[in-house]
Amino acid sequence: MGVKSITTLLLLGLAVLSFVSKGMAQAEDIAVAADIAVVVSSSNPATTLSLGDLRKIFAGVKRSWPGGLPIKLVTRGAGCPERVALLKLLAMSEGEYKQYWTSQVFRGEADAEPLIVPSVGIQKEALNLFPGAISLVSVRDVKPGMKVIKIDGQMPGAAGYPLR
Amino acid sequence: MRKGGIRTRIQWALLVLAVGQASSGAQTASPSDQETIAQLVEQIKQLQQQDQDLLERIKILEARQPPASPVTESEPTGATVPQQSAEQTAPPPAPSPASHDWHDEHGVQFRGYGELDYKVLNQRQPELGTYGFVPGSQGNFYTGDFGLFLTSRLTDKTSVLAEMVFEEHDAQKYDVDLRRILLKYDYNDHLKMSFGRYQTDIGYYNWAFRSAAWLQTTADRPLVMEFASNGGLLPTQAIGVSVTGAIPSGKLGLNYVAEYGSSDTIRPDINGDGLFTDENNGNQTNVGLFARPDRLRGLQIGTSYYHDKISNFVLNGPSGAPLPPPPGSPGLSARFGQTIVNGYVVYAGHGIEFLNEGFLIRDAPLHLNYAVFDTPAFYSQLSKQIGRVRPFFRYQYVNASLNNFIYDDVGLRFGPSFGARYDLNDYIAFKAQLDHTTRSGGEPDLNGLRLQLAFTF
Repeated sequence: MGVKSITTLLLLGLAVLSFVSKGMAQAEDIAVAADIAVVVSSSNPATTLSLGDLRKIFAGVKRSWPGGLPIKLVTRGAGCPERVALLKLLAMSEGEYKQYWTSQVFRGEADAEPLIVPSVGIQKEALNLFPGAISLVSVRDVKPGMKVIKIDGQMPGAAGYPLR
Repeated sequence: MRKGGIRTRIQWALLVLAVGQASSGAQTASPSDQETIAQLVEQIKQLQQQDQDLLERIKILEARQPPASPVTESEPTGATVPQQSAEQTAPPPAPSPASHDWHDEHGVQFRGYGELDYKVLNQRQPELGTYGFVPGSQGNFYTGDFGLFLTSRLTDKTSVLAEMVFEEHDAQKYDVDLRRILLKYDYNDHLKMSFGRYQTDIGYYNWAFRSAAWLQTTADRPLVMEFASNGGLLPTQAIGVSVTGAIPSGKLGLNYVAEYGSSDTIRPDINGDGLFTDENNGNQTNVGLFARPDRLRGLQIGTSYYHDKISNFVLNGPSGAPLPPPPGSPGLSARFGQTIVNGYVVYAGHGIEFLNEGFLIRDAPLHLNYAVFDTPAFYSQLSKQIGRVRPFFRYQYVNASLNNFIYDDVGLRFGPSFGARYDLNDYIAFKAQLDHTTRSGGEPDLNGLRLQLAFTF
């Protein structure tokens, strides 16, 4: 086996190793990026929520923060990863979600359906505008001014984080 | 991401080169192979240059970015939150709140619902016609309730709710009923108050389905939960104050409801005798408890206790004039203590709706040695969403004594209903329902078919 062949094999091995390690790192990045953060206004004193409370909040059952500040739900439209995570959280289909909120309004349990915003920028603006606002946002889209809160004591990216 | 892509491409190019070199050890490279290698080397150089350009660009953009923590964490954690891209973190132009439509926050939310029904009922002796159904007919169309629903938020904690219903009666005449008008104040989750005309929270059905046919799975309400103005047994509406809220109870999810108001009700006899019972009453008190346990999402278990003092003035339907009390009745001055106890177990989740409610209505004359009448009633309803179709089955039972002067028109009635609801889209539903009702007192059974197009907007 000549020097050329050994060099070739080494290069090949290095390339494969690099490819595999890069792939693993990318898989980690994808896992983190796929997490959905729960964000509130930076002025909101809340730091953590249980998954059960989060579910009650997005179902409109829990309607105020512990200090009495009214909760304002800010959501993304159908098809967004945040919407998918929301429906998963509530164990509803898109149709069931719409019917549920129509029912909540007619029951008098809500004034209106949750606010739907078309972009992360407006999502951030809504968080600034409503002190009691809460929203779901893909981790990669978290912006300065959005306060990420823990769910069941875990931040996005942690193993076992429930929203992804 | 771009850097990663370029690197991947470089690695692939190296791999191709390496494979090429390995094969060249066994044979001499042909001129065409040399050309290929030269092209690949050139591509690698180009990719390296692009990579360098991109890195430079990122440095420039990062330098322009204001110093800010990418994520405001509540506490330092070891959680990995990826850095944001330059485009995402670049400060966006600060739009003023007015630049977006926040009208829904301060304006009036306007909604509505309606229905179109077709009903066939084999009545040999006409009974009460409600919602525009003509008693004794082979079958006819009617529009039932058409409701306009308004909400408006006044402050963070105060809002107004109004529900106006155009209710069809005989000969396509319509009454306007201000079914709900509420000034609401939500102090927090534990104290939510409503002032005005409300729908009593006796049981689950009245709370869950309110007035809109579109909300209901079935085409009609169970008889016991029918609106009193349509012959229903319960005082479904009152004017006063209603308070509700969560009770700190951990995962049990306990809630309370307390109401105090006047539910002055005029109820038409449902047996078609043309008489009305004016339950000209005192003020009603209703208290209830219900639990929504965290462990079994969708389950709701509740109970309520209602008490009122009512009279039993009989009115002539067409003229509205008071009639003399029936022979043997306690007389016009008699007052009855009406107590309604309710219990329910409901499951609504995973496409399943399983409603079970029971009632015991006790009418006891006050200050008179006269009979006490208990009227038990229940309904059970099961449905399952399968795609856009929701087949359902309901069984209902009401047993009022024929000697009970308040419900002597009702008697014993029980029977099944079954059918299906088909959601054409998120706003329109079509329902088909078959009913069979057995009646006491030698009255023939009733069989009915009801088709309904219910919609919301």
